[in-house]
Amino acid sequence: MNPTQSSDYRTAAVAGIGSERLQKSLHGLQDRFGKGAMKLWAGMEDREMRSRVKDSRMRTLEHLDIILAELAKNVRARGGQVYFAETGQDAIDYTIEVAKKNEVKRVVKGKSMTSMEINIDPALENEGIEVVETDLGEYIIQLAGDKPSHIIAPCIHLDRNQIGRLFTDKLGIDYTNDPPALTLAARKALREKLLSADMGLTGCNLACAETGHISLVSNEGNIRMATTMPRVLVALMGMERVVATLAEHREALQLLTRGAALQKLSTYVSFLGGPAAEDDPDGPQEFHLVIIDNGRCKILADPEFREVLACIRCGACLNICPVYGKIGGHAYNSPYCGPIGAVITPLLDGINKHADLCKGETLCGACREICPVENDLPRMLAALRHKLAYGSDRWNTRQHNPAEAYAFSFWRLLVTNAFLYRSFIAIGRIFQWPFVKKNKMIKKMAGLASGWTAHRDLPPIAGRTFSELWKEKYRTTRPAGPAAKIEEEK
Amino acid sequence: MDNQNSFLGNIRIALGLGAGEERDKSHYPALFSSPDTGAIVARMQNRTAEEKEELVNLFQENARALGIHTHIALTDSDAAGIVVELIRSKEPEFTHTKHIMQHDHPDIAALQLWKRFNREAVTVHTTFSADSELREKTITSFIGITAPVIGVADSATVIQFTTPGQPRSTSLVPSIHLALLRRDRLVADLSEAYALLGEKGYPDSFVFISGPSKTADIEAQMVHGAHGPREMHLIVLPAADGPLGKKEISL
Repeated sequence: MNPTQSSDYRTAAVAGIGSERLQKSLHGLQDRFGKGAMKLWAGMEDREMRSRVKDSRMRTLEHLDIILAELAKNVRARGGQVYFAETGQDAIDYTIEVAKKNEVKRVVKGKSMTSMEINIDPALENEGIEVVETDLGEYIIQLAGDKPSHIIAPCIHLDRNQIGRLFTDKLGIDYTNDPPALTLAARKALREKLLSADMGLTGCNLACAETGHISLVSNEGNIRMATTMPRVLVALMGMERVVATLAEHREALQLLTRGAALQKLSTYVSFLGGPAAEDDPDGPQEFHLVIIDNGRCKILADPEFREVLACIRCGACLNICPVYGKIGGHAYNSPYCGPIGAVITPLLDGINKHADLCKGETLCGACREICPVENDLPRMLAALRHKLAYGSDRWNTRQHNPAEAYAFSFWRLLVTNAFLYRSFIAIGRIFQWPFVKKNKMIKKMAGLASGWTAHRDLPPIAGRTFSELWKEKYRTTRPAGPAAKIEEEK
Repeated sequence: MDNQNSFLGNIRIALGLGAGEERDKSHYPALFSSPDTGAIVARMQNRTAEEKEELVNLFQENARALGIHTHIALTDSDAAGIVVELIRSKEPEFTHTKHIMQHDHPDIAALQLWKRFNREAVTVHTTFSADSELREKTITSFIGITAPVIGVADSATVIQFTTPGQPRSTSLVPSIHLALLRRDRLVADLSEAYALLGEKGYPDSFVFISGPSKTADIEAQMVHGAHGPREMHLIVLPAADGPLGKKEISL
């Protein structure tokens, strides 16, 4: 992932929470799509579909070597070229080689998360190739020099006035904040790019091994344009983005478009199996499918996290997550945000590096409920926290916060030893006094504990504990205490 | 091919196998087996006239919600009238002249559009594979006319195959997409459509189209016409052997 991104989770989260505009957009988005998806699942006639798709996704992962070999064989049989890229850099190098060989000057991109994961744009631009995002949201983000903040609604954090000013500035149109007028301006500008580009660069939503096709969904038609008009087509595909059969494709596709935008189908679903046939009057002359590992094998190998590769990247979990719904996508500092991002980003790019993500989520379980393939994201978030708490050789993860670990070992010692605990409380009562303020509350604590009082006051340790009070009250009348009474009544 | 071997080797290791322990798909027949679609095919074949009519209504209802204008033509000459009227009433978006690009398909040829515009400046092009100017003509055209192979009532979808005479750009680049669909090509839902694809086969390239191009990227407000056609019309033609069972005479 982009190594130059280094904005701090907390700073970005605070900024997100502070932005009234973002709060309004996120609320609207979650209110419509989050609730809508839950309603769709509840009303679905075929109740077994989600677990069936999950089963088939897991079966595919368990036989991924066989299924990818079949996909590659069938795509090649259709005249396509297949390249297996172990790392993001391999995929970039291959794509650039294809671009150079074909003297590509301009690349039009269909929305692709994988292309952002491997950060291919700067590499292409370094070669003097113009790169144009064609999804309207991504295009706006590109013009603004910004970063997307939602998987399917990349510019959810920008409002119509900002976009209007941006278009006046970058496209030279008269100012308007009318979405249809702005869309039309982008349509004109991008049509020119789409019709004159030499290469289309897309992702892949679901490849079908049995038939040798990749399939791509879009509502705008930009992906059809990018896969039809340029001479060369390169599709980047995470290695898990594949189903075995056409029958499995149907069900996964139906969950994808419903989860993403409550649609029975997106406006366009393109199936592409190779370059244009010899007597086809249009379509790409070359078709390259780049299948990318980039850290996925490591996830596949770990039974604790394999499940996350069953994800179909619909983005539904973003539409219900209470944390994403407040902090927005930028805080995640990754092309993959929200609950899915909080799991997949650390796994692909370093658990220590992205330690805040799994700690920031609440484990409330909403993402598990909404996930079309019933992925247990909260379980995996907790597993990531475990890795951070104790370190993990497998994931090359060091203990995230040794001081915190010591504090908790000390706490464990205390709560398992009554004498130590009582002594600690007794000492604490004395040492807390300098911190107790006029309102009889602790306003500020020091060191590790300072976070507890950053946003609220804490009550001090009581003068006497409950059990001390109890003992005092019933010491003399012990035989007639309430517990004894209950015994008698029985 | 070497990178394929090492790549798949890594996957095998991740799955707890040896890197060189190649697995043959024939030993895993369940992986590529599909549920039997016999019952679905039988359901499609045994549909009564009322049920077929119901499918048309369902398509129309779902199409409306997606912004597709559905027109029901009782005869093929009705269809020609509808198409001519649409061409007359719509204005080009990117050019000043009216060019039409139509697929090379018997149902479209039967409209005889080339001779229907004597007094207006309308140029009708037909896609054919040897036309080296096809790209330019398609970009200039404001209406693209196609005849999809399957219509799906439940999702208001048409399935368009790419063939030499039916290129991809016709339903994509012009501002208005006009599709002609015979009644008997209408199926109930995606499971039927996929069953048909499984039975009849599919080309290297095909597309499901469910409405005009749209976007909701600016403040979640729906706008039609992002990059593809901003308008879509579907004309339902009588079944190939006519609504009353007799062969319909084209025009």
